[in-house]
Amino acid sequence: MSDKDRYESAYENQWCPGCGNFGILGAMKDALAQLNIPPEKLLIVSGIGQAAKTPHFLKCNFLHGIHGRALSIALGAKLANHDLNILVNSGDGDCYGEGGNHFIHAARRNTDMTLLVHNNQIYGLTKGQASPTSAWGMTTAMQPGGVISEPLNGPALALTMGAGFVARGFSGNKEHLSGLIQAAVQYKGFSVIDIFQPCVTFNRVNTAQWYKDRIYELDETKDRDDFGTAMTLARETGDRIPVGILYTKEKKEFISQIKGLEKGPLIDRHYDPDRLEKVVQEYI
Amino acid sequence: MDITILIGGAAGQGIQTIGTLLSAACCKAGYFAMAVNDFESRVRGGHSFFKIRISNAPVYASRESVDLLIALDKNTWEIHSPSLRDNSVVLADEDFSSSGRIVPLAFEQLAKETGSNLFINTVAAAAGLRVLGAGPATVQSTIKDHFSGLKEDLLEKNLDAAQKGFEKVADVLFEEQPLAHPSVPKGNLISGAKAIALGAAAADCRIGAFYPMSPATSIMQHLTDLSKRLDIVVEQAEDEIAAANIVIGASFAGARAMTATSGGGFCLMTEALGLAGMTETPMVIVNAMRPGPSTGLPTRTAQGDLRFAIHASHDDFPRFVFAPGTPTQAFEQTRKAFYLSEKYQVPAIILADQYLLDSLFLLEKPFFIDKHVERFIVTDDDMPDPGGYERFAVTDSGISPRALPCKGKALVKVSSDEHRPDGHITEDIAIRNTMMEKRRAKLPAMIEELDGPETVSPDAHTLLIGWGSSAGAIKEATDLLRDQGADIGCLLFSQIWPFPATAAEKMLKNNPDTQFIAVEMNAEAQFAGILKENTNINFSGYVLKYDGRPFTAQFIVDALKEKELA
Ligand SMILES: Cc1ncc(C[n+]2csc(CCOP(=O)(O)OP(=O)(O)O)c2C)c(N)n1
Ligand code: SF4
Repeated sequence: MSDKDRYESAYENQWCPGCGNFGILGAMKDALAQLNIPPEKLLIVSGIGQAAKTPHFLKCNFLHGIHGRALSIALGAKLANHDLNILVNSGDGDCYGEGGNHFIHAARRNTDMTLLVHNNQIYGLTKGQASPTSAWGMTTAMQPGGVISEPLNGPALALTMGAGFVARGFSGNKEHLSGLIQAAVQYKGFSVIDIFQPCVTFNRVNTAQWYKDRIYELDETKDRDDFGTAMTLARETGDRIPVGILYTKEKKEFISQIKGLEKGPLIDRHYDPDRLEKVVQEYI
Repeated sequence: MDITILIGGAAGQGIQTIGTLLSAACCKAGYFAMAVNDFESRVRGGHSFFKIRISNAPVYASRESVDLLIALDKNTWEIHSPSLRDNSVVLADEDFSSSGRIVPLAFEQLAKETGSNLFINTVAAAAGLRVLGAGPATVQSTIKDHFSGLKEDLLEKNLDAAQKGFEKVADVLFEEQPLAHPSVPKGNLISGAKAIALGAAAADCRIGAFYPMSPATSIMQHLTDLSKRLDIVVEQAEDEIAAANIVIGASFAGARAMTATSGGGFCLMTEALGLAGMTETPMVIVNAMRPGPSTGLPTRTAQGDLRFAIHASHDDFPRFVFAPGTPTQAFEQTRKAFYLSEKYQVPAIILADQYLLDSLFLLEKPFFIDKHVERFIVTDDDMPDPGGYERFAVTDSGISPRALPCKGKALVKVSSDEHRPDGHITEDIAIRNTMMEKRRAKLPAMIEELDGPETVSPDAHTLLIGWGSSAGAIKEATDLLRDQGADIGCLLFSQIWPFPATAAEKMLKNNPDTQFIAVEMNAEAQFAGILKENTNINFSGYVLKYDGRPFTAQFIVDALKEKELA
């Protein structure tokens, strides 16, 4: 087993003390060490937000991109070099708000990569506005009368869109979360974990205690390949909230269906002027 | 000889097939040709036409007058009869007018006799071929070539339909008989869209991502066709935002990648353009201009996005902008865009337009394929200390060594936030300034990479200034006016940004009395404005057009005369 210190980044962490993101970061390092993916073989792609800063705090290759677009960038990178191990870190606003369309289509496409949604049910970096997952009725400075839309359910949406690996996690349970991340990374296809993560600064409703009072771990010995059960579990967000793998099933992976990629990553192909000359001449 | 054939009808009647057949036959017979495709944003009905110009000399724009009109419906007759000359010939389905000018052919009736009115286009094409001087053997072989992919019995029916059309025009006399006197072909017909796709392939582009939008889609269709035989993958994204970010991700990982869109889609891509600018990731975007704002005229042509392309996205960062005027330039500049985008790690935008992309032009010289494609990527072996690799290391040229993620010990760290040389976020004032200056330090060398304008009589008293695909019509207008004794020339720009000031100034300052006239397909003379900002020259007049239809030389000549500018 490898030493997880090798994922330590010299860059100063910028999260608030006590933030739920630390639990996710710790679980990621643990999972990467368990999976033995060295920093130089890891690519993290992220959007914008507190969650999206994750790769700076972990030793790896990264592209910290723009709000909501991480999944598109990750797809491009994977098309170019499908040997890449790609983790995507996104916030609930980043992924389900600005990036909602890409999330839907990433689930349909089923490209082999893992998406970790740091779900604090609030916008952190922009200082406490409601996010798509904020509870109905939650008041903020920008929603003084309370949120009047239904919260978006990421796992349920991913399931409807055909995702083959859908899980819920809790940053306060690092060991369990590490296990989920390992299973997600090993899944051949698009895997998504919606991770509850208390924002100690802005979210006064969904506190660590609030989550602890509701969360229960799913029985890991059970097969989770039944869509109906998965949907029921995904929608259980009231007094009791299950964490663990809600659904996992083998599905056709995206890259493996592209004929042109059967011969290996595109970036490893050599420029072939003779073939090109011939194709160009015939094509004109 | 310089004749124009116009085939018109409703969308879905096979006008393009007839046009392609006739232009291919004339090309094969050794003539120069060019064709424009004019259609509405609908799949059936309406009015579309295909206009072919055939000449003994090279042609790059179409003409207003029509010598042979093939009218598949009455609408075509009504719209285009004013363009006919006294001895023009009109082939039509029935006699739509009482003028007696129409040769009624009953296209539909003849097609039905063959089995289906789907054969209308074959009947009409064969009639057109004969009127242009083709004998029975030429007609047969042209039809066979065109329909070579069809099943035996369908091919037979097409030949049968052709025979019917051929017989019907035995008595029609057309003054020019180009197909009766064939010589060696001058080249192949090619559209700008095909040329751009081939240019991308020649630049070793590996990934194309797109979201459909006219008139850019045909570029991606060609790239998709090429992907069956080359190491290219094309992905249809969920929107233009995704398409542009896929390109950035692919490029970051090491593959040359592109997208093509039109103004509306380019609006959505401006965010990604900024990301490419900030992260210094190469990317190539084709903006196939059509009239706007907003959805505008979807199937028409324009040159209205120049200012937008130059300034798109927020704050300052360097980029290349090209505006090819011909398929040859489209091919070469696409190749150059990939090369320069990678060399300087900046985005490159190619401004094309519906006219360039959908028209057919004669390609005289074959495209040049490089024996070797130069890449600008470093590996661990190029570094004394891969562990200390910094993606944004400060250099005199502003260009930092670019390594690829997960290809060695060097960690590649990239952030869209302002960053330190190692790629981590910073708000440090000095580093911010250094990084801004580092990115901008590339500009002087970038400018030197660009060629100045193509010229015709640059020492003339009056100089027409144009850019992009208007070049053909402007050159022809210049020739026409010179033949009439005017002291006129033109400067035609196609490598536009960063503005090639050194190359341009040499030509602009020749004579202090020179009168400059801007000829552009937009309402505000956008290029003229850019030229003024960068060179201090003043314009004495403008010929502007924004109705969505391309320039013809005659239009430019008439406008200049009306304004007493030539
Ligand atoms: C295009 C764009 N719009 C808005 C923003 C401002 N912005 C930065 S982070 C953020 C929301 C982040 O919320 P979330 O994804 O939930 O992440 P968190 O900060 O809570 O981890 C927003 C709206 C931006 N950077 N870019
Ligand atoms: S604002 Fe909230 S989510 Fe962001 S770092 Fe602070 S506690 Fe964490």
